[in-house]
Amino acid sequence: MNKVTENLRKTAAKLLQDKEVDMVIGYGLGSEAVRTQPVFITSPDDVDKLVWNPFCVNGLTKYLSDMKDHPGKMAVVVKGCDSRGIYRLAQDSIIPRDKVVVIGIPCAGQLSYTKLASKIDVSGQLKDVEEKGEDVVIKTSKGDFTVKKSEVFLDKCTTCEHHNPVVADHVVGDAINTCPTPDNYDEIKKYEAMSPEEKAKFWLSQFGRCIRCYACRNTCPGCTCRECVFDAIKPDWVGKEIDVSENELFHLTRAFHLAGRCVDCGECDRVCPMDIPIRLLNKKLLKDCKELFNMETPGSTEEGGSVIGQYRLEDPEEFM
Amino acid sequence: MCDCKTREVASPLLPHIATINKVIDETSNIKTFQVAFDEPGVLENFGNMPGQCCMLSILGVGESMISITSSPTRKGMLEFSIVKVGRLTDAIHELGEGDKMAIRGPYGNNFPYEMMKGKNLLIIAGGIGLAPVRSLIDYALDNRDDYGRVDIVYGARSTDLLCFKYDVFDKWPKVKDTHVHVTIDREEENWNGHVGFVPSYVEELAFSAENTIAVTCGPPIMIKFVLQALEKMGFKDEDIITTLEMNMRCGIGKCGRCNIGEKYICVDGPVFNLSQIKKLPPEF
Amino acid sequence: MADKSLKKDQVKNLLNKIAQSNQLIAPILSDGITLFKPVQSGEGVVLDYQNAVVPPKDFFFPQSEKMFSYDMSDPSWAIKPEEGVPNRVLFGARPCDVKSILLLDKVFDAEFRDDFYIDKRNKTTIVAISCNDCRHTCFCGAFGISPGKAEGADLLLTDLGDRYLVEVLTDKGETLAANCSDLFSNDDGSGAAAKEKATAPALEKQMKIDLEGVKAKLDNMFDHPMWAAESLRCIGCGTCTFVCPTCHCFDIVDFNNQSSVGYRYRCADSCQFANFTRAAGGHQPRPSKMERTRQRFMHKLRYFVDRYGDFGCVGCGRCLEKCPVNLDIAQIINKVKEVG
Repeated sequence: MNKVTENLRKTAAKLLQDKEVDMVIGYGLGSEAVRTQPVFITSPDDVDKLVWNPFCVNGLTKYLSDMKDHPGKMAVVVKGCDSRGIYRLAQDSIIPRDKVVVIGIPCAGQLSYTKLASKIDVSGQLKDVEEKGEDVVIKTSKGDFTVKKSEVFLDKCTTCEHHNPVVADHVVGDAINTCPTPDNYDEIKKYEAMSPEEKAKFWLSQFGRCIRCYACRNTCPGCTCRECVFDAIKPDWVGKEIDVSENELFHLTRAFHLAGRCVDCGECDRVCPMDIPIRLLNKKLLKDCKELFNMETPGSTEEGGSVIGQYRLEDPEEFM
Repeated sequence: MCDCKTREVASPLLPHIATINKVIDETSNIKTFQVAFDEPGVLENFGNMPGQCCMLSILGVGESMISITSSPTRKGMLEFSIVKVGRLTDAIHELGEGDKMAIRGPYGNNFPYEMMKGKNLLIIAGGIGLAPVRSLIDYALDNRDDYGRVDIVYGARSTDLLCFKYDVFDKWPKVKDTHVHVTIDREEENWNGHVGFVPSYVEELAFSAENTIAVTCGPPIMIKFVLQALEKMGFKDEDIITTLEMNMRCGIGKCGRCNIGEKYICVDGPVFNLSQIKKLPPEF
Repeated sequence: MADKSLKKDQVKNLLNKIAQSNQLIAPILSDGITLFKPVQSGEGVVLDYQNAVVPPKDFFFPQSEKMFSYDMSDPSWAIKPEEGVPNRVLFGARPCDVKSILLLDKVFDAEFRDDFYIDKRNKTTIVAISCNDCRHTCFCGAFGISPGKAEGADLLLTDLGDRYLVEVLTDKGETLAANCSDLFSNDDGSGAAAKEKATAPALEKQMKIDLEGVKAKLDNMFDHPMWAAESLRCIGCGTCTFVCPTCHCFDIVDFNNQSSVGYRYRCADSCQFANFTRAAGGHQPRPSKMERTRQRFMHKLRYFVDRYGDFGCVGCGRCLEKCPVNLDIAQIINKVKEVG
C-alpha cells in the first residue's frame, strides 16, 4: 500500500472517530484494474475501502451539492483541479465552506481509463501501482503492465495549473514542486483561427453525436441550479428531441451559463460517452474571460464570484 | 407482420379527433367533458369497458391518461372528469362545447364486472376518485338485476368538492336497493349529512363482507385507511379492488413509465385486487 | 442454402451492390469513434471494430422519431403519420446487438403492436458479423450469446482471415444472398471449423459472469440495503440507458412552435432521470437515485425475465464501460450472488 493511501485512511478514520464529519467521500477500488469508484465512508471501520492511485479521475465535489441537505459535515478528497470546485460551491452559496472538511491530495496527473484500455488488459483486479520515472508499472491479477505515463495521461493533465489543492484542511501526501504548466490555449487559438463555416461544420458534427445523457451537466460542480432549464417541463425551453439544433442549444446554453464560473476540472470531457470535446467550449470562454477581465481560473481563490455577475468600471465595453 | 399501408388506421399511438358536446362544472377545479368522435364508427367500435382509460390530448400541449367516467351502457358519448393539475389539464379546462381534443384508447384492464355479477357491491370513493368507479356504478345500475345490493360511500373535504352531485344526490338513490352514503370532513352550514373521514364512516356503517365486492378509489391516504377498515371487516384480499395511478406516456405497455415490477399499469392495470397489489414492489 | 464464402476484396463490392437497392446502414469511424450510420457505399465501412459506442437499435427505435404531423386549422386536424422507411440492410451488427433486437421485439411486437417499430423491423435485413475479439467489458456468454452465432440475424459473416464465411440463416438472408450471388463462392466445407477457431479468442477472453440463481435472489432483494449503497455514487445521468441496446423507455412530446401546425415525436427517455416518473400533480414514486438505480438493475435482471421470459441484458458491456462512476452491472451481478 502506498504512503498516501495509508495517511488518507488515518486522516479519514480520525475525522470519523472524532465525529468531526459523518461521511468521507473518496475513491475506492473499481471493477477494473485501472478504475476507481467514488466511495462514501461513514464508519472508521470502513476506511480501508479508501485508496489513492493514478486512477482517481473522478471529481467528487459535485456530490457535496447533491447531498447539500445532508445534516452532518462531510469530508471530501480533492485533487488540485477538483479543489477549485470547493470554492465554486461556496461562492455560489451551494455548500458553505464550513460544512466541508477538505482532504487535499497533491496530484502529478491522472491516467485515462480509455487510453489504458486501448493499450493493456485492464480487466483484472489492481494489486499495486509503481511509478518508475517516466513509466508506471500497473500490477494486476492479469499480469504486470509497464506504460509510459505521458502516453496515457488524461488530456487535461498534460497542462495543469494546480498540482496542489488550492484549498485543503488536511493535506495528505507531499506537495508537488514541479512548476505548474498552465494552458497556453494553443488548441483554442487553432479553433479561433477557423472561419465561421469551419467552426460550424466542426461543432455541428460534434453536437450531432450528443445523446443528451446529461453526464456532463450532472458531473459538473458549476451546474448546481435547483431545477436545470433543460429539465424544466413548464416552460420547456429546450425540446427533448435529439437533433443537432436542440443539442447545439443545450451545449451552448450550458457553456454560456458556465462562463466565468467553470473551474476547468475537465470532468465534462471525461464523462462524455460520445467523446464530444465539451471542455473546448468552456476553455474558450475561460480564455475570453481571462483576457477581458483578468480573471483567474474560477475557484482558484476564496474571494470572488462570477466575473459575469460583477460590474467594474474598467470592464471592457467594445461590444457596446 | 403488418403491412405499413394499414398503419394509418392501425397504429395504437395515433389519436382520433373528438368534439366536446357538453361541459359540466363539478367543482372549482374539476370539469366533466362529454365528447363524441368526429369520424363515424369509431365510437361504436371503441369497445370500452368500465374502468378503462384513454389518452387525451390537445396537440401541441401534451397528452395524459384519463379514466373514462361514463359507462359503456350510455351510448353515443364518452365522459372524462378532469382535475386541473398541470399544463395539459389547464388547457383542457379552457375548452368548451364544440372544441376538439385528440383521444386514443381504450387502454388498460377493467373492473371485473362479470365476476361481480350476483354479488353486492360496496363502492368507496373520495373526491375525484369517484370518476373511475362511476363507470362501474352506472354499468351495474343499468344492469340492475345482475347485481345485489349496491352501497356507495362517497366523501370529500367539503360539499363544494363533491363531484357528480346530480348522480350522488338525485339519480343513484332513486334506483332500487342502491344506498348512497355521503360524508364531508368538517362541519358545514346547511349540511345535515354525515361529517367525518371516509374510512371511519365505512367502519361506522359496518358493511357485511358476505358475498360483497368492495371497490375503492381516492387519494392514497384515504385508500390506505379504507383498506385497513375493509380488512378489519373481514373482506378477503381478492374481494377488495382498487386502481393504481402512475405517470404514463404510451398507454400500450412500452414506454416504461408506469412499470412496477413485471407489470405495466397502463396495460395490466389500472384495476388490481389487493392480493395482486401485495405482490407488487411498493413503488406506486 | 449452403454456406458461402466471400473474398475479402469483394466486401466493398458487396456493400456497394447492397447500397444500390437498399438503404445501407453500417459501422463507420466518425471523429475517432465507431458508429452505425446510413452510408451510400462500402467506402469507409469498418468491420474489424469491437463494438459501436451506441448500439444499432437506433434504426428500429430511433432516439428521436417523428410519429405524425398535424394541422389544427383543418377541421379534422389533418393527422398524418410519418412515411415508413425504405428497404434497408443493417450490415455488420455484432451478435449481442442482434440478440437485443429480439428482446426489443418482445416489447414492441406485443399485445399492442408498435407499427413504427415493426415497419422498420420488417424492412430491414440484418447481416451480422461474428466476433473474433472482444472488449474488456464483454460478457455476452452470461446470456447464452455466442461470438460466433447470431440468432435473429438473416446472414452471418465470420472473418476467416483471407475470406468471410457467409451463413444464410433466414429467407430474408437468402433473398439478399441470391441478389449478390455473383460475389459469393460456395464454401469448401472448411468454413465451420475455421469459424470455431476464429471466434474462440472472443469466447475465451470475455468476462465470465454466471447468472445462476441471480433472478431468484433478486426476487427477494427489493428492500436490500445494497441498492442504497450502490446508488450513492450514481450521478443520475442517462448514459447507461442511452448506450444500452435493450433499454426502450421513451417520452412522447408535441412540437408546435406556437402555431396550429406541428408534429408529435417520441424520444428515448431514461428511468435514471427524476422527471421520468414524476406525475403532473407532483406524485413521485421513485424519489431518489436509490429507487432509480434499483429500477434499472431489477428491470433488466428480474422484471424483464418475469414478463418476457428472458434477461433484459445482452452483456455488450457498454454501460459498464461508459458509466462515469463505474457503476458496473457485471459487478452488481456478482454482488447479488454474494448476498446471503
